[in-house]
Formats: sequence, C-alpha cells, structure tokens
Amino acid sequence: MRNPLRRALCLALALCMVLPLCACGGGGAKSAKTTLTMWCIATESDPNRPAYEQAIREYEEAHPDIKIEWEAFENNSYKTKIKAAVRDPETLPDIFFTWSGAFLGDFADAGVAYCMDEAYRPYAEELPEVMLQSSTFGGKNYAVPLTVNIVTLFANMDLLAEAGWDHVPETYEELSACCGALLAKDIIPFGISGAEAWCVSEYLEPIIEKTIGYEAMNDIFAGRASWNDPGVAAAVDTLQEMIGKGWFDPHAMALGNDEVKADFIAGKTAFYQNGSWNTGEINDAEGNYAAALFPVLDGGKAGYSQVIGGPNAELAVSASSPNAALAADAAFELGRAICRYGYLAGTGLPAWTVDYDTSEVKPLVADVARLVAESEGMVLFGDNAMSADPANTYLDYVSRVYGCQIDGAGFVAGLTKDLG
Amino acid sequence: MNKLYNNRLRTLLMLLPALILFCGVLIAPILTSVYFSAFDWNGIGARTFVGFSNYKELFTSDSIGFLKALGNALLLAALSVAIQIPLALGMALVLGKGIKGERLFLAIFFMPVLISSVVIGQLWVKVYNPEYGILNVLLRAVGLENWTRIWLGDVNTALGAVLVPMLWQYVGYHMLLLYAGVKAVPTELREAAIVDGASDAQINRYIVLPYIRPILRTSVIFAITGSLKSFDLIYVLTNGGPFHTTEVPSTLMINMLFLRNRYGMGSAIAVMMIVLCFGFALLIHAVFREED
Repeated sequence: MRNPLRRALCLALALCMVLPLCACGGGGAKSAKTTLTMWCIATESDPNRPAYEQAIREYEEAHPDIKIEWEAFENNSYKTKIKAAVRDPETLPDIFFTWSGAFLGDFADAGVAYCMDEAYRPYAEELPEVMLQSSTFGGKNYAVPLTVNIVTLFANMDLLAEAGWDHVPETYEELSACCGALLAKDIIPFGISGAEAWCVSEYLEPIIEKTIGYEAMNDIFAGRASWNDPGVAAAVDTLQEMIGKGWFDPHAMALGNDEVKADFIAGKTAFYQNGSWNTGEINDAEGNYAAALFPVLDGGKAGYSQVIGGPNAELAVSASSPNAALAADAAFELGRAICRYGYLAGTGLPAWTVDYDTSEVKPLVADVARLVAESEGMVLFGDNAMSADPANTYLDYVSRVYGCQIDGAGFVAGLTKDLG
Repeated sequence: MNKLYNNRLRTLLMLLPALILFCGVLIAPILTSVYFSAFDWNGIGARTFVGFSNYKELFTSDSIGFLKALGNALLLAALSVAIQIPLALGMALVLGKGIKGERLFLAIFFMPVLISSVVIGQLWVKVYNPEYGILNVLLRAVGLENWTRIWLGDVNTALGAVLVPMLWQYVGYHMLLLYAGVKAVPTELREAAIVDGASDAQINRYIVLPYIRPILRTSVIFAITGSLKSFDLIYVLTNGGPFHTTEVPSTLMINMLFLRNRYGMGSAIAVMMIVLCFGFALLIHAVFREED
C-alpha cells in the first residue's frame, strides 16, 4: 500500500519541478499591451455613457497596444471614492474624472494630479486655451475638458401656448405676466427640487448674475470680493418673491431632481431650469420645447446673455501613475472624442473646436450651443468654483433661502460671517 | 507553578487572534480618529495641527450645527426606549405565552430587520410622497385632506416621519431578544405562580420581568447606541434635511468628511459619537445595577 503512495508522491513532486519549465522558451513574444485604468461617473443610466464607450472603443482601435480598463460610479459615491483613493496612490487610477474648479484644485495643490501642459501642446489648435481656465492652477493645466455646461431655462412651449404665450419671456416683467397667466390656467410655472440645494442654486445663481453682473459674481466666488453685496441680497429677495407668488411646485421640498425633470417632461410644469446636460433628453421627449436663459432683471447690471456655467467635466491624470505621460495623451484623445460624441448626442456642449459634421446635432442642443457662443461672460457653478467647505457652506445658505428661513440680508450677512 | 504559567500562556495564545482582530478593527481606528481630530486636514494635502480647535468649533459653531444634530440623536434615542422597547416587550410577552401561530408572528415581526435599510428607506420615501404616497392617498380617501403633509419636506413633520420607519425596522429585533429571555423563564416558576392564583399580568410583573432584566438592559443599550449611531435610513430618507431638521451626528460626520473635505472635524465628530455611546452604555449599566 505504501509503495504506490510513495510512487504517486514522487511523481507529483517531479511534475511540480518540471511544470515551470514549460513557461520558458518558444511560445511567441510576451504581450506588450499597456493597460491604463480609468474611473468616471458615466454609469449605465448616465446619458454620457455612449459617448464614453465610443471614445474608448475608437481609442483602443487606433492604439492596439493600449487597453483602457474603466469603471463608472454613481455621482455622489464617486466623490467619496476618489477622495479615499487619493490617500493611497496605489489605488488611484491612471485617468480619473474630475469636476473643474476647486474640486480639481485640491488635487493640484496636493500634487496628486499630473501637469498636462506638455501633453496639451499637440492639441492647442483644437482646444481653445479659454477652456482650460477652470483647470489651470498656478499657471499650470491639470485636466482635459470634456464638455461645457450652462444653466438653461427649458420651456414647454405647448403649456406656454395654453397660457397665451408664444415665446419664452426675456425680461422679468414678461416672466411675471407669463407666470400669472400660467397660474390662471392651473399650470405650475417652475419645477424645482427644493430638497437638493444644488438645484436651488441653478435658480439663484442666474438671478444673482443678472443682478450684479458676471465679473462681480466671479470675484465673489473666487474670494476676491465680499459676499456683503446689496445686489446679492436683492437677488435672493427676487427668488423669494417668485416663491411667495406661488411660481414653484408646492411639493418641491419632497421631490428629487429626477422626479422634477420627469414632471417637466410629462407636462406638469411649464419651466425647468437646470444644467444643459439635460438638453438631449428633453429634445427627445414628446412635446414642443425651447431652451433659453433666465430673463433680464429690471435694474440689473447684466444683459440677457451672461451665463452660469463653463467647462465643468474633466479628465485628469494621476501624478503617481507609472504611465503618466501616456495617460495624459490618452486623456486628451478621449476628451476630444467624448466631447464630440456628447455634443452629437445632446448630452453636452462643445469645449473643443467643432470641425466635424454637425447635421446630427439635435435642434435644442444647437440652440443651447448658440447661447454659449453668444454669451458675454460666464460664471462657473458656485459649487465648482469654490472649494469643498465654502461651497457646502454656501449651498447650506442657498437651501435655507428656498425654505424662506433667511431673507436676502440674512443670506449675505451669514455668508460674509462664514466666508468673508 | 509551571502548570499555572503554561495554562495562562495557553489562554493568552488562544485569545491572541481575537485580541489582534479586536485591536485592529476597533481600537486602532478609534485611536486614528482621535489623532486626526487634532488636525485641520482636507484629506488630500498636508495636515495642520490645531489641537482641540475642532472640538471647540464643534460645540460653538452655528454653521456646523453639531448641537442640533446631537439633540436629534438624543431625541431619537429617548423615543426608541420609550416606544420601541415597550412595544417589543409587549409583543415578546404575548408571543412568549405560546399562542397559536407563534412562529409565524415571530417571522413576520422580524422580517423588517432582515430587509436592507436602503430598501426600507426607498419604500418609505414612496409612502411619504405628497402626491401619490399611500399615506396622503389614504388621508384624502377618508376625508382628512387637511392632514396631508409634505412629510419628509416639512420641518415640522420630517423628524417624526423619519422615526417611524426606524422604530418599525428594529422593533422585531428587540422583540426577538426579549422573546428569547421570556422563553427561558423556568416553567416551574410560572406553574407555581398559577397555583398561587397569580394572573397573567402578575406573572409578567413579578416573575418574567425580573428574570429578563439582563436582556432588557442589553436591549436598552442597543436601542440607545443604535439611535446615536443611526445613519442609513436618515441618509436615504432625508440626508439630514430639510434644513438640517433631521441631521444626526453620523450624517454630519459624512458631510464633513466627504462633502466638506474636513477630515479633522469629521474625526472629532466620530470621537464624540464613541464617547457618547460608551458613556450611555456605562450609565445604563449603572442604573440597572442600582436597581438590582
């Protein structure tokens, strides 16, 4: 009994010694494929997903020696994940999605993001330098813009027609008359998610900009000017006047943004003011829609075409990546393609020069792109422009504005005390 | 002597893996939190030592709102003890008598404990929807339209609205704990009491309740510490809103850590939560020991 066992054991040991030798010699050359890892927020339900998929597919076809391994995460959980990953460079991917402004600025300050100046040079003619403003810190650029987004006032023209209006109001006086007419027909003028502070800021920021002008607003967001501005207080009072007149959905405090958008598309509200990333979806919905900007305010310092927004979605490269230079080049290639396909699909506006056939661009998207092209000045979204702590303090006050817990004077006094 | 020493060594070796796990999973993170709470740090860049500044700001700053969050957590804890434990105890006493369908009822009451908090949260978001939510629909159906509310969006109702699913989810858990204790009461004691002419209420009061005191104490500790640590349901239902009405220390901590990039402040909140939970556990032990 023992002999067969001993024989089997010896055979097994011998096999173990011989097997590794099979890996040596012959069999063809070792694979030279480089893998670049990427994290983003283009989940299955994100309208940008097809643009990412197409961009990555094309890049891999053009670069057969490079493989992009990518993962997508939900928006809010991504913020947690990327900040946790930053503390361990081993876990940070080669390329990662980032918001522009202070979100990226924190990474740049910490030396976590790779400087993209060198990689930008071949693309300088296709990517205007103005689009790099929100990703440039200390004179160095740290990311590739994917798209431009602005706050857009979407209007359901069928509902407006019911109220006797054939155009989107361009002055506050017109807006007042229009909303009065809508309410008389039992149509809710504005849909808003009062529970989400960033949605309220999509209403408040255009009003502030129309009141004090884009330059003054940029100064406040950048910390170069104080929040103690009577124009800001007046803007808050204007929004609260709109709330007081019943222009907003009475159930707003219980609604999430997705529900509000769905209600707008279903024809329950006449206006929906939110980011231009919604344009493609609204264009495809049944109904007659228009895209415009918030009306001009009486006594305001800004004309119609000053906008809130800018290039806010970017791709950055990890400074600790072993393939940082390659990843930077890949980020520019992917950024250009994602921008193009996103524009054609209506999920974003072009940050890169448009030198391709735009006949497929959806009509509403083309309208919004025209608004951007004609804009006199831009102010980046407040929660992008400011770094995390001041941005969240600001959003706290914004949400209290919607709840009418503070008025304009209280808003500016509080922010002056907390932020300066 | 050698035998005694060998026994102790053996005991220590047997305990060592658990001790390492305990220290690694529990003690080390606590100490790390205490360490980080002494810094002003955005989680990415350099750390600046600030000593107790974070704790001072926690208790003095209106914009952080820690005291309000703490008040909400203490209120939730008090209501958990005042409503959840008596309810669970009542159910355990009834089921412990051996009624028909005892096992079925046990399973039904325990089911919410098994369901994911996120699922429960989403379920109750729909229940509370002001337009099509079953609560407002029922109120309208019975002619009580005046009682309809934006339950999760109204500052007057949000905290109560959040409490209901929290109580609902864990009453089965406490019931099961107390039921186990009730079932462990020796039948001879009950029989002796019956022979002496005691009613059900008297048996419960003079025999069952004293017998299950240790389990009752454990349930109270779990209810209070669970309320102080509560996060998931509140995060899904309101995320601390509207206007921080339902903010609790755990949601505030997440806000500080991951939205505001204030890791030092977030760590300070974590330390305070640990101190509170530990403090309440000791207090409850002391209260129950005194009564013994």
